[in-house]
Amino acid sequence: MKKDGPLKCKWKVSKFEKKELADIYRRILKTIVKIPPNAPYRQNTEPIIRHRWALVENIADPNKLESAINDGQLEEVISQAKRELELSRKMLEVRAWEPLVESAPTNQWKWPPT
Amino acid sequence: MASRLVRLIRPVTQISRSNAINKVARPITALPQLRCQSTEVEKKGGPCMRPPVNPLVKERLSDFGVYVAENLQKFVQKVRIANGDELEILVHPDGIKTTLLFLKSHHTCEFLNIVDIACVDVPTRRYRFELVYNLMSLKHNTRIRVHSYTDELTPVESVIDVFMGADWYEREIYDMFGVLFTGHPDLRRILTDYAFDGHPFRKDFPLSGYTELRYDDEVERIVIEPVELTQEFRKFEYSTPWESFPNFREADVKSEEIPIKQIEKAADEKTDK
Repeated sequence: MKKDGPLKCKWKVSKFEKKELADIYRRILKTIVKIPPNAPYRQNTEPIIRHRWALVENIADPNKLESAINDGQLEEVISQAKRELELSRKMLEVRAWEPLVESAPTNQWKWPPT
Repeated sequence: MASRLVRLIRPVTQISRSNAINKVARPITALPQLRCQSTEVEKKGGPCMRPPVNPLVKERLSDFGVYVAENLQKFVQKVRIANGDELEILVHPDGIKTTLLFLKSHHTCEFLNIVDIACVDVPTRRYRFELVYNLMSLKHNTRIRVHSYTDELTPVESVIDVFMGADWYEREIYDMFGVLFTGHPDLRRILTDYAFDGHPFRKDFPLSGYTELRYDDEVERIVIEPVELTQEFRKFEYSTPWESFPNFREADVKSEEIPIKQIEKAADEKTDK
């Protein structure tokens, strides 16, 4: 579908942006579901992704979708979603919701040092 | 009588002359005025000083710091605000890559640019090198700093997968401080010469260096020899070497660290769990 306005420099025009977005959001949720529900990362990210996914599913016109998401052009939203997918996988891998690995030695963050 | 008349007339002639000059010169004198008008900056008393910090901005920054800390509670040790409005996140070295990836990739952060990676050497600390990652978000027009630490032997994970631009910064730190980065595709010296010995920004690096280069007539080539100068013990002072205004010399140090209360609570929760 044709969209209004030029794309930003070097951005590849996506032909099936809606399908692509929905696909990425589905995959993000698939990863996030594996994170325990009381983890702050899951609590913070899941509503955003679910909200956007609902928008993508419900609004047919790309221009309207862009203004509804209100976060730049759809191509930007796609790259943003791809980044979030990468992050969610990393968060799951390192288990970032666990308690602090190790606290810093005393005077590590003290300035000026004695 | 005549002289009196002249006395009266002279000022008049002077006035007319000066007027004539003014008429000719007006277009020229008008130019600097225009220039001043176009670049005039509102004067806000005193010399070049940081404007007072907007409490709203500070509140937002601390809220954001808390948000990052709770999301990455495994790695974030402390959050602080330096100089009134510079957010700093202090993380455990294991979490550098995850923290940077979070700041880059999360929907609410989007710090897509790496501005610089810096390092500080403090030999008295257990982990002598402090690594500083400066990030910038063009979208939200903010900056953030991520601090971590390491020593000479412990390698740190390279962030090149997250930020391509970190390549040369990491090489520079490897060259200057000898910090090792795992996963860097091309970790070699970047600033010093091929046969260079040592890491010049370390505090224990002698001012003369370890080796000396000279041309040897007998062998007819350049030879590298160890330096035979002995150096006195150096004591390092971390206060600024530059002359600063006496009124603000202490103020800078005071505004350096502002710990946030919410973070301490979060730290308690961490220990509870």
